[in-house]
Amino acid sequence: MMKAITNLSPHSPHSPEFSRRRFLGVSGVLVLGAALPVGRALGQTPAAATFEPSLFLAMDSDGTVRVTVHRSEMGQGIRTALTQVVADELDADWSRVEVVQAQGDVKYGDQNTDGSRSITQNYDRLRAAGASARLMLRQAAAKRWKVKVENVTATNHEVVHAASGRRFGYGELAAEAGRLAVPENAPLKKETEHRYIGKPVTHVDAGDIARGQGTFGADFSLPNMATAVVVRCPWLGGGVKSIANKPTGEPGLVAIETLDAAPSAGPLFAPLGGVAVVAEDTWTAIRVAQGLDIEWTPSPNQTFDSDELRVSLRASVTKAGTPVPGSEKGDVDAVFAAGGTELSATYETPFLSHAPMEPPVAVADVTGERCVVHAPLQDPQSARDLIAAQAGMTPDKVEVTPTLLGGAFGRKSKPDFALEAVELSKRVKRPVRVQWLREDDIRHDYLHASSAQHHRAVIDDEGKPTAWLQRSAFPSITTVFAAQAVQPAPWELEMGFSNLPYTVENQRMESTGIRPGVRVGWLRSVCNIFHAFSANVFADEMASAVGRDPIEHRLSLIPETGTLKQPGQPAPPGHELDFARLRHVIERVRKLSDWDKPRSEGVGLGFAVHHSFRSYVATVLEASVANGRPSVSNAYVVLDCGTYVNPDTCVAQMEGAVVFGLSLSLYGDIAMKEGAVVQSNFHDYPMLRIGEAPATQVELVPSQGRLPAGVGEPGVPPVAPALSNALFAATGTRHRTLPIRT
Amino acid sequence: MGHKLNVNGDVVDVDVSDDTPLLWVLRDHLGLTGTKYGCGGGYCGACSVHLDGAAIRSCQLPVSTLQGKAIRTIESLEQRHPALVSTWINNNVAQCGYCQSGQLMSAAALLDANPKPTDADIDGAMTGNICRCGTYVRIRAAIHQAAGQQATGGAE
Repeated sequence: MMKAITNLSPHSPHSPEFSRRRFLGVSGVLVLGAALPVGRALGQTPAAATFEPSLFLAMDSDGTVRVTVHRSEMGQGIRTALTQVVADELDADWSRVEVVQAQGDVKYGDQNTDGSRSITQNYDRLRAAGASARLMLRQAAAKRWKVKVENVTATNHEVVHAASGRRFGYGELAAEAGRLAVPENAPLKKETEHRYIGKPVTHVDAGDIARGQGTFGADFSLPNMATAVVVRCPWLGGGVKSIANKPTGEPGLVAIETLDAAPSAGPLFAPLGGVAVVAEDTWTAIRVAQGLDIEWTPSPNQTFDSDELRVSLRASVTKAGTPVPGSEKGDVDAVFAAGGTELSATYETPFLSHAPMEPPVAVADVTGERCVVHAPLQDPQSARDLIAAQAGMTPDKVEVTPTLLGGAFGRKSKPDFALEAVELSKRVKRPVRVQWLREDDIRHDYLHASSAQHHRAVIDDEGKPTAWLQRSAFPSITTVFAAQAVQPAPWELEMGFSNLPYTVENQRMESTGIRPGVRVGWLRSVCNIFHAFSANVFADEMASAVGRDPIEHRLSLIPETGTLKQPGQPAPPGHELDFARLRHVIERVRKLSDWDKPRSEGVGLGFAVHHSFRSYVATVLEASVANGRPSVSNAYVVLDCGTYVNPDTCVAQMEGAVVFGLSLSLYGDIAMKEGAVVQSNFHDYPMLRIGEAPATQVELVPSQGRLPAGVGEPGVPPVAPALSNALFAATGTRHRTLPIRT
Repeated sequence: MGHKLNVNGDVVDVDVSDDTPLLWVLRDHLGLTGTKYGCGGGYCGACSVHLDGAAIRSCQLPVSTLQGKAIRTIESLEQRHPALVSTWINNNVAQCGYCQSGQLMSAAALLDANPKPTDADIDGAMTGNICRCGTYVRIRAAIHQAAGQQATGGAE
């Protein structure tokens, strides 16, 4: 079993800041990274591509390999997968590999663990890092033995000269290999030679977690640390006017601090403000915080009401929105005017909260010259810049180390909770842990946007649309970036709205933005949730209008071959939507679910398919209504994510996506009245529980050789529409609004 | 206020107010951070520990009510339930892992009471433990496997 290091002292020799020169000066080891261009990955290069040899890989003279993982672990298995990639090309003995969590630092390039792209962006460069080190070990051995490097092999932590039978352990060569120039084009393994890539390796943190030893945000502590609980204004932009009953002399109470109010409009990355109760222990902080009687200052968001927003969203899709540039094909209006079988439907989805099991939490220690933060952060690098500004320091004085993330789903891409800890540590001159309560988490989230979607089509006798008008309305995520932002951004519409894969001669797409009185953020699969819901249910409606099998009908809308030409920016090369791959996952899920087998009376099958985060997912759910509630007995999921690193992780992510998708389909509903979130905890913002989780079968399309695509998010979008379609098949009732309550 | 507690077989003294929930005693005062805070309301099960062998929500239990009771936490689980811990690891049950201490404590209490649970037994016993990552199908499978191993003498 692999030993995993989850937390490092700031000046540990395991720390990535430890330089190559210093390593060599101390004990002589091979340290190496690869700042080779990301190249094909998304067509982008990392933010900083400076060559820094100790970036990702180091080896001690005892043969211990340390792989530095620069992405955050939130359950998607990235600490394991990235390590598999390096260890594979190095041909390391897995039991001698340790994982080091990187601090936030521009030298790694993009560290934003977001958008299901950690493997997509880093597969090539980490393979290159492992392959370069392996070649350097061979070169060092060849030099020592005075033989040709071609005659030297490196396998399973040993370098061997077959002709003479001589061999060295990797560690014995580490110092010498570390003095060689890093080769830039080291040969990569063939697919058949992979020993970890493509294999179901057990997660590096599985043992710690099963023994309660994993270090999550709240588990990290520092000597003399205090704990703070913050009472925040119910509405965005409100500040503290007065505290009627400020306690004094309470045992264990350290300080009561007033934090400045957040702005009432974007940019919305600053802490929300409020009253912080700093105490020697968590319970004292909670107890004192819950007893405070605070009067808040007003804000324009104080009148925000989610029902009123939904009325506005619904109204906005009854009229023309802003056309998506380049989306118009043929003449939609002429076909509508000519008549024929017309379908139209409006779909609605509510605000959602992320509710990771670990509420936001952060530990900060601000001293005169340094600031150290340990927290469950999805992007320690951008957090470092914000933290530096909050601490009044330059980023080089700030160390940000991600702990394990107890779930995130997008919430922990915003470091507002870490900024609170920094501010409080600065004020009380001690290390401070800020612990959000569940109520804080639900009430003060960056919410997934509520939306209205409208589809109108004229269909022919086979249910194929001859004209299709799509309208999408929702508060854009760009509203958290800028006070004036209103319209959805192209990248939001490219999440399943402007890139539908169906053949239509006459087509138009329109969108409408609206300013919300709340912070909007990205939640696992983001706008794909409402776009995939409406498009897949509407397609099902087309099929049922002419009595066709939904899968047969859907296949008839998708070209046999070729790639999608979407409006706006083309997809990066190799990541275009490939019709044949889309059809393939549909065909496979039809087989996997035994789609054509009749189910019992009252049981229905529903199908949905969606391309997102560069991956293809087709889902079939088997559902019925029991005791007035939807019940899902079986889920079938087929995923094509291109080259995959850990197939078991891919399967687990699909299993989890079914549960996540069912939670939002059946329960997810955040309401706001007078600027405040109505719900507060799991009793009124419920999650799916084990008895409601369907038996789930997942198939992974063997697609090694294709570019690696996303896994964490793309399983979510097809779930809600598959459920709606299954319930229609089971009962004849069409559900166009989430959550589905009956 | 001093309180004498029996935690994982050790008798310990803590000086906290009577209303302090066991969860915070474990985490803040005894350094046993395997037990997690999830909701503070008894809804999610992340804080589950054993009290005289039964799985309970430690966020709901004031320290003053625990005199003479045997408390066990995730930190001592493997001694008594090695098969449960190993099946959890080998099946890659955990995703983020935050809820898993609580899941394991509920699973252990189930197997203590019912060494051969059915799916329905599992769903019933585990319904108080939310997993936001959605590892439920693996939890079911791992409990069945651990039950099988315990039955064949893989563990006490």
